[in-house]
Amino acid sequence: MKVFDIALKDLLRSLRNAFFLGFGLGVPLLMGVIFYFAFGGLASEGGFDIPRVDVLVVNLDEPVVEYGGFSAGEMLVGILQSEQLAELLAVTESDSADAARAAVDNQEADVAVIIPAGLSAAVFDPQGQAEVEVYHDPTLTIGPGIVKSIVTQFIDTLAGSKIAAGVAYDQLTEQGATVDGTILQNVAMQYGEWSASLAESQGASVLLAVQSPAGGEEKGNLALAIVGGVMTGMMVFYAFYTGAASALSILQEEEDGTLPRLFTTPTPMSAILGGKLIAVFALVIVQVLVLMAFSSLIFKTAWGAAAPLSMAIVGLVVLAASFGIFVMSWLKDTRQAGVVIGGVMTVLGMVGISSVFTANVPGAAGGFAAILPLFTPQGWAMRAWQLVRDGGTVSDVLLPFAVMIALTVVFFSIGVLRFRKRLA
Amino acid sequence: MDDCKAIQVQDLHKNFGDVYAVQGVSFDVQTGEIFSLLGPNGAGKTTTISMISCLLQPAQGDALVFGHSIIREPMAVKAAIGVVPQEIALYEDLSARENLSFWGKMYGLRGKPLKQRVDEVLEIIGLADRQKGRVGKFSGGMKRRLNIGIALLHKPRLFIMDEPTVGIDPQSRRSILDSVKELNRQGATVLYTTHYMEEAQELSDHIAIMDHGKLIAQGTHEELVKIVGELDRIDLLLNVEAAPVIERWKAVEGVQRVSAENGKVTVLAGDSNLVLPRLFEAATQAGARITSVDIREPNLEAVFLHLTGRALRD
Repeated sequence: MKVFDIALKDLLRSLRNAFFLGFGLGVPLLMGVIFYFAFGGLASEGGFDIPRVDVLVVNLDEPVVEYGGFSAGEMLVGILQSEQLAELLAVTESDSADAARAAVDNQEADVAVIIPAGLSAAVFDPQGQAEVEVYHDPTLTIGPGIVKSIVTQFIDTLAGSKIAAGVAYDQLTEQGATVDGTILQNVAMQYGEWSASLAESQGASVLLAVQSPAGGEEKGNLALAIVGGVMTGMMVFYAFYTGAASALSILQEEEDGTLPRLFTTPTPMSAILGGKLIAVFALVIVQVLVLMAFSSLIFKTAWGAAAPLSMAIVGLVVLAASFGIFVMSWLKDTRQAGVVIGGVMTVLGMVGISSVFTANVPGAAGGFAAILPLFTPQGWAMRAWQLVRDGGTVSDVLLPFAVMIALTVVFFSIGVLRFRKRLA
Repeated sequence: MDDCKAIQVQDLHKNFGDVYAVQGVSFDVQTGEIFSLLGPNGAGKTTTISMISCLLQPAQGDALVFGHSIIREPMAVKAAIGVVPQEIALYEDLSARENLSFWGKMYGLRGKPLKQRVDEVLEIIGLADRQKGRVGKFSGGMKRRLNIGIALLHKPRLFIMDEPTVGIDPQSRRSILDSVKELNRQGATVLYTTHYMEEAQELSDHIAIMDHGKLIAQGTHEELVKIVGELDRIDLLLNVEAAPVIERWKAVEGVQRVSAENGKVTVLAGDSNLVLPRLFEAATQAGARITSVDIREPNLEAVFLHLTGRALRD
């Protein structure tokens, strides 16, 4: 019973503490709201409200008749005008490169994509060269970045197709085969398909795929999906803060004299330490549930299926709490704790949730940026939550959940042993 | 076990690395008395009572509290004592009532008896009208009273109070001293530590004087004063370097002991009226002039001075 009295007392004190209310609940909610308004729109409106990028496309390319009328220029225009990019790009065709550049200079358009004459021919001519120009307002970053990314991926695929066609031509003619345009076009197309499937298997974004986390209300609303991702990151980041800050109460009470006084009462040490640990867990649970509820109500965040979500919640709560206990058990006093919470926890947290910001960076998925967070406990929690939000099942979440539980056992055991030794 | 003894301290030792805080301390506290541990800061008083409160494990020795060993039966000891720590140990973000309720639960009180006892203690410490106020907004004196109130909750037979009057105003100090006497009048045994001679003198049935981790004397006030042979204490200030004058004063008839600390010279003598003119004469002969004289009857400070050669101070 005393164990719960101590836990309740700590919980009450934390809920009256401006630091917890501010950093545990206020800041993460504020961050979500800031991101939400940064990307525009209201949840009730549903659509994607990031201002669309005005793109002027000048297609000077000509189809290559001997290769079945192949036209790289038309392909690129088709990609830019595709339905999947319609929410991101407002594409208008223009006949004149100079007029398109002038429109950008006059801020009548954000970006001009100028496809040169001979782009298609250059694909099949081993000596051929052509350069697609992306002309944009230098004060803009996000919109031109999106266009550049799309054009670069297209050109990379085109360049690969050109090499593949050249190699095929050389090898077939060496063997005495007659090589016509249709054969080379087939080779180039097959290379393109193979390249796309390879990139997909490595986790890279498919050229035209606009990623959107799973979830009923969020589908079709990228702003809400982004806020959902940010809220998940904030929740993981600040759950670990809360774990450490509430475990700090052990050091704080030691300095305030209330912990020694507790030891003069007929209360076993196991009850005192147990009560404080229960309070740490309870506080992280309160924080996670409040942030989830708030995000669900305001941002219509869809958290995924119940079973894997429960695993993610349990994993996050026990790991954040035990990591806080572990970290605090190594510190001498609250002055050291200030440095650790302010520095170490921030760095680990930022690395751990970095996938929120790198997920849509071309090439980041599957690379070092995807592996680095897993060197932090926050990274494993983030992995579990992202899987759940992306529609993952229990079996999908099992690995990060198992890692979180294993880390919890290690951190909790070491932390409790150190505190027992210290308070004995 | 001797039923009359509330505490039997037997050869307690405690060291923190190379620092020997308590070295072979032994004393008995009779049931129903106020027993004071008197000594300067760093004498080992707090370490001694921390061991008796089961907060620290002795390196050697043992203590029995109402027959329960602090080493083998700490829970029984803790249930029998009410500890008032030197530092105010309260939850400042909780109200006075919430603090008392929480600590009451830690002493095993529950439900209606807890509520009743909290109400009683709030009345005793004079905080009934401020019971819902956050402790963080209380004055130092109010916090001190609440700090003591927590120790009253479970009506312990023995109170252990570690310098409860440090850093408070004279009015609150008076109130606390009166509370201690009242508790004792109601039958409680009190183990009290202080470095204020006046408090020990006013409160105590028995006093033990500690210095450098050792118990250097113990007894009633009268017994301790007899150690200095009922000598008068004369504190003097000189207008010049004291050393040559001290040498002359040591030779003055009737002077028992001369010591100097921080420019003040203390002379212990059987009869200050006889000795004082001689001290003036000797000082004049040494080319010095006495600028201040303070004569005191024998007291615990004189005892401490006699035993250690140093004044009893913070």
